[in-house]
Amino acid sequence: MDTTSAADAATPRPATPLPGSPREHLSSPVTRAVLRLQHTVLDAAREHLGGAGFTELLPPIIGPVTDPGARGAKQVDVDYYGHRYKLMTSAILYKQASLTAFDRIFCIAPNVRLEPLETSSTSRHLAEFHQIDVEIAGASRDDAMAVAEGVVAHVVRRVVERSAGELEVLGRDPDAFADLLSGTPFERRTHTAAVADLHGLGHDQNPDAEIDWVGEAVLSAKSSRPFFLTDYPKGSRGFYDKENPARAGRLLNFDLLAPEGYGELCSGSEREHEYGTIIARMRETGENPAKYGWYLKMVREGIPGSAGFGIGLERLTRYIAGLESVWQASAYPKVPGVVSP
Amino acid sequence: MSGLRAGTFPEAAVRERARVGAGAAFPALEDYGRALFGAPDAGSSGGPPGDELDAARLVPPVFVPERLEKLIDLAREPLHGDVDLGAEVGGFTSPLPVYLSAFGSTQVASADLGRAAGAQAGALGVPMVIGENVVPVNGYGRLAGGGGRSLLGRISAYAEAVPDGVGGVVVQQSTEDADAEVWNLVYSDPSARPLLDSGRLGFELKVGQGAKPGLGGLTVVSSADGDRLSEQFAVEPVFGAESGRVLRCASPGTFTEEILRQQIRLMRNNFPRARVWVKLPPGRDVAVAAAVAWEAGADAVTVDGAEGGSGWAPTSFLAGVGLPLAECLRRIAGPTGCLLASGRVWEGLRAAKCLAAGARAVGLGRAALIAVDEDPEAGLTRLVECLALELRLLISALGKYRAGALTPDDLWSPTGWTVPARTPAGTVTR
Repeated sequence: MDTTSAADAATPRPATPLPGSPREHLSSPVTRAVLRLQHTVLDAAREHLGGAGFTELLPPIIGPVTDPGARGAKQVDVDYYGHRYKLMTSAILYKQASLTAFDRIFCIAPNVRLEPLETSSTSRHLAEFHQIDVEIAGASRDDAMAVAEGVVAHVVRRVVERSAGELEVLGRDPDAFADLLSGTPFERRTHTAAVADLHGLGHDQNPDAEIDWVGEAVLSAKSSRPFFLTDYPKGSRGFYDKENPARAGRLLNFDLLAPEGYGELCSGSEREHEYGTIIARMRETGENPAKYGWYLKMVREGIPGSAGFGIGLERLTRYIAGLESVWQASAYPKVPGVVSP
Repeated sequence: MSGLRAGTFPEAAVRERARVGAGAAFPALEDYGRALFGAPDAGSSGGPPGDELDAARLVPPVFVPERLEKLIDLAREPLHGDVDLGAEVGGFTSPLPVYLSAFGSTQVASADLGRAAGAQAGALGVPMVIGENVVPVNGYGRLAGGGGRSLLGRISAYAEAVPDGVGGVVVQQSTEDADAEVWNLVYSDPSARPLLDSGRLGFELKVGQGAKPGLGGLTVVSSADGDRLSEQFAVEPVFGAESGRVLRCASPGTFTEEILRQQIRLMRNNFPRARVWVKLPPGRDVAVAAAVAWEAGADAVTVDGAEGGSGWAPTSFLAGVGLPLAECLRRIAGPTGCLLASGRVWEGLRAAKCLAAGARAVGLGRAALIAVDEDPEAGLTRLVECLALELRLLISALGKYRAGALTPDDLWSPTGWTVPARTPAGTVTR
C-alpha cells in the first residue's frame, strides 16, 4: 500500500536555480545531453506519427485569434497592420481547420502563454514552449488516447534504445520506464474519481475545476507509469472540448499525467464541431464569438468531427530525462515572470 | 410654426424630438462626460418617494434583548459607539458594510476622480470595484503608458493606501470586452501580486448594471473615433452629422442559466486565488440569477437597482426600465450567499434599510464621485465617516450592535412592501 501523504507528495521539489546566462546554459553538459535527448524525442514522434499516416503541417505563429486563455494565462497581443493579433497559445483552432485538407495531421507547434507568476515555482511551466499537436478526423476520444499512448510509448522506447549515453549523463535510470514499456495499457481514471482520491488524501480540490497543480503532483507521485484522467467538468476547459451527450456537464476529454510527480504531459479531447453548440459553448466560457470570425465561418460551412491532443514537448523531455525543472528542457528557457533572452 | 398648442400633452418633448431626432432619446448632449445620471431622487425634491426603500422606515423595538447581551458583555449600558460595523464583503474583510462601486463609462468616472476615490477607499479599508471601461479608455498602464488614470494607476493608488488585513480590489470585465483580457492581464501582472498574495484581489463578471438593464455600454465618441471603433462596436450617428459625435453601442452579452453558471465556474478554474463577484442588472429574474451565481461559487452577487449607475443611458431607461432596488431585495429574500446592493445609496438611512432587507454591504457610486469632486483629498473619507456614524446611531437604536444583525423586522412600509424573514448575516444556526 502506498502511504505517501498528500502533504509529502505536494512538497515542492528542491528549488532548481533559475537559468544562467545563455552561454552558461548552452555550454552545460546537462543542457547538451537534454537537447540531444529531445532531438531523439522529436525524431521518434515524427517517425511514429509519420508511420501511422499523419501529415506534418507547420502551424501559424500569429493570428486574429488563438486558444482562449486557461488557468489565468495571458495571451500576447501583436499589432498586425493596425489589427490586434495574438501569438498562438495553442494550435487547436488551426488543427480543426486543417482537417479540411488532411484526415490525420500533426504539428510541432510553438506556443506563448504569459502564465500567472505563481507558476514560476511549479517546476513545470514555461511562458514559451512547444507541443506535439495531433488531430484526427472522425476520431473518438478513445482513438485519440490510443494515439497519445502510442506516441509516448514509442518515444520512450526510442530514447532508451538510442540515447543511453544521454540518460547516463543525466543520471536517469532506464529502469524507470520498465512499467511504461511493459505493454500494459495506461490506466484511466475519471476526474470525479481523482477528486475523490484527493479529498481522501486531505487535498481540497474544487470538483468543478481542473485538478490543481498540487493535486496533479500528488496523483502523479502515486503512479509508476503514465495514466489518463478523463471526463473533466464543463467550466474547466475551452469551448472546443465536446460535452458528453450521455453525461451532461462532463467533457469527452482527457489529460495524460506522467508518473513520479512530474504531472501533466498532455491534454486532449473529442472536439465540438457543431456551429450552434460552439457558439453556446463560447458564451459559457466567456468568449465573444465576434473574435472568432474566420473560424466560425469555417465551422458554419462544415468541418469534420475530430479528436486530438497536444503533448508538451518540454514536459515530456523533462519526465524522460528526469529533470528537476522543465526549463532545463529548453535551449532558451523563459520561466514565467523571469526576464530572459 | 403655426402657434399650435397642446397644453395637456408633453408638447415640449415632442417638439424637441421633432427638432433633434433620435438624439433626443438621450440626456442633453452637452451633459455627456460632465453630469452623473441615474434615476432622480424624487423623495428629497418634494415629490413622491423614489422607491419603497425610501418610503419604508426603520422601526426600533421597545424590548431589546440584544442590548442586554451587549450590556452583559460590556458591564455598562451600550452606546452607538459600541456598534461593530465590520463586515465580510464578498470574501474580503471590511471595517464597514460599504464598498466602492464600479463607475460608469463616461469621462467623469474614468478621469482623475477615479484615482482619488480609489486612494481614499484604500485608506478607509473598504473594497473597491474598478470598472471594465478603464483599460480600453485609459490603458493598462505599462508599455503604452497611461499613468495614474490607467488600471495599474488605480490599483496602485488603492494598494499604497490600504491597511494590512482589510479591503480588496475587484476588477470588472464584461463579456464583450473579453478581447482586452483584463482579468488575465491583472492575474499575471507583478504589480497586482501583493494583492493576490494577501487574498485581496477579485474579479467581477458584469452581467449588467442598473441604469440601462438589458443594454450594453453606451458612450458618445467623436465621429473619427467612431470610424475606428466600428469594427468592434455598433456606431450610430444619432446626433446628426453636424454634431461631430456618434453613439457607440456595446452588446449586453447573451446569458442563460447555464452560460452564467459555466462562466463563474471558469472564473474559479482560471483564477483560483481571486474572489469571484457577479454584477446583476435589476432584471425580473434577478433572484434566480443570484441563486445560480451563488450555487456556482460566486463570492458575492452585486445587484444594481434601477436607481444605480452614473453613466449615459437613454432617458426612457432612466425613467422606467428595471426593478427598483427595493423590489430586487424583496425578490432575493433569504440570500444564500453574500448579497451586495447599490442604487442611490449615499447616507446611513438607506444603507441600513438595504442591510435590513438582506444586503451584506452597500455600494457607493455617484455619491463617491461627487464626494471626491468636492474634495479630491478627503471628500470620500468624510462622506463615509458621516455614513458610518449614522449607521451606528441607527443600528444601536434598533437594539443591535452588529451591521449583520439587521433583519426585515427592523423595517416598516406604509405601502405594505415587505421582505420575507431570513437568517441575519453572521448568525450561527445549529
